[in-house]
Amino acid sequence: MWLPLIGLIVGLVVGFLLDWRVPQEYSSYLSIALLAGLDTIFGGIRSFLERTFNVRIFMSGFFFNTLFAAGLAFIGGFLGIDLYLAAIVAFGVRLFNNLAVIRRIVLSKWINQQE
Amino acid sequence: MLQKSRKITFILAIISAIIGVMLTVQLRSSLHPVHKESRSIAELRTTLQKELEKHKNLLADISKYNQLYYQYETSLSEDESISVMKEELARTRRMAGMVGMEGEGIVIDVVDAHTPAEPAMDEHMPVPVVGDYTIDDEDLRWLVNILFANGAQAVSINGHRLIATTAIRNVGDVIQIDTRTIRAPYEIKALGEPEVLLSALKLEGVEENFQLANKKVLAEKRDKLMISANNETRVIQFMKPVKEKGDS
Repeated sequence: MWLPLIGLIVGLVVGFLLDWRVPQEYSSYLSIALLAGLDTIFGGIRSFLERTFNVRIFMSGFFFNTLFAAGLAFIGGFLGIDLYLAAIVAFGVRLFNNLAVIRRIVLSKWINQQE
Repeated sequence: MLQKSRKITFILAIISAIIGVMLTVQLRSSLHPVHKESRSIAELRTTLQKELEKHKNLLADISKYNQLYYQYETSLSEDESISVMKEELARTRRMAGMVGMEGEGIVIDVVDAHTPAEPAMDEHMPVPVVGDYTIDDEDLRWLVNILFANGAQAVSINGHRLIATTAIRNVGDVIQIDTRTIRAPYEIKALGEPEVLLSALKLEGVEENFQLANKKVLAEKRDKLMISANNETRVIQFMKPVKEKGDS
C-alpha cells in the first residue's frame, strides 16, 4: 500500500519541478480530467476493498475516463453545450458514492476488529 | 499471487504519479493565471474619474443640441429662424477656427528642465548627458488631445491655431504643424475652463511624461487669452454649393 503514496508524492514533486502551466481557457478541461482520474482512483480503492479489483478495468477506466471527459467537454464547448457541467456532476456524484462505500467498508472492518 | 499484487501496486503508483502531476499543473494554473488584472487601484480610479468627466461633457453636449433642435422647431417667424441660423453659423465658424477667439483659458509652456549642476562627488563618475532628448509629434498630439477631450474650445501651438484637419507630425528632426515648422520652446494656448484643463493635465500625468524627455511643463491659467484664426489657405475639394429652389 506504500508504493501508490510514494508515486503520488513523486508525481507532485515532478509536477512542481516541470513548472507546466495550462492556459486559462484550457484549465477547465484539465480540471475535468483530474476529476475523472480521482473518480477512477476512488473506484479502484473501493473495488479493491470489495475484492473485485481488476487491473485491466482499472487502467482502462482511468485513461478512457480522463480522455473522454476532457474530450467531451471540449466538444461541448465547441458546440456551445455545457457538457463539462454534466461531467462534473456525474463524476462528483460517483466520487462521493465511492467515498461513502469506502467509509462503510473501513468502518465495518474496524468494528469487526474491535469485537 | 504475491507477484500479481506487486504488479498492481506498481500500476497504482504510476497512476497516482500521473494524478500528482495533473494536480500540480492544475494548482499552478489556477494559482498563477496567465492573464490577470495588473492595473493598480489608483490607476483604475483615475480612469474612472476620466470617464465620468467625459460622460458629463457628453451629457452637456446632448442637452445643448437638444436645445438647439428645440429652437429650430419652435422658431416660427422667419426672423427668428434666421437669427438662430446666424448664431449656428457663427458657432460653426468658431469651431472651424475661421475667427479669432478670446476668453479664459490656460497657457502651457514646454521648456527644457534645468537640472541643478551638482558638484560631482567622484570625478571618475561619468556625468549623465542631459538635455539631449527631444519631444515628438506624438507627445504634442497627446497633449492636444487631452485638451480637446476636456472641453478646450480652441488650441494653438506656437501661434498656429489647430483645426479639425490639422496634422502634427515629425518631418525629419523637426515637428511640423500642417506645413509650418515649429521649434522648441513650445507654447500651447487653450481656451476653456482653466480648472478643468489644469486638472486634466494633472490627471493624465502630463508633467511626468514630459519629464522623461527632460522637459518641464509650466501651465498657468489666464483670465483673458486671445487665439487668432487659422490662416492656412484651405483647398475645398469635394464641396459644391447647393442650388436654391427659388434660384432658377
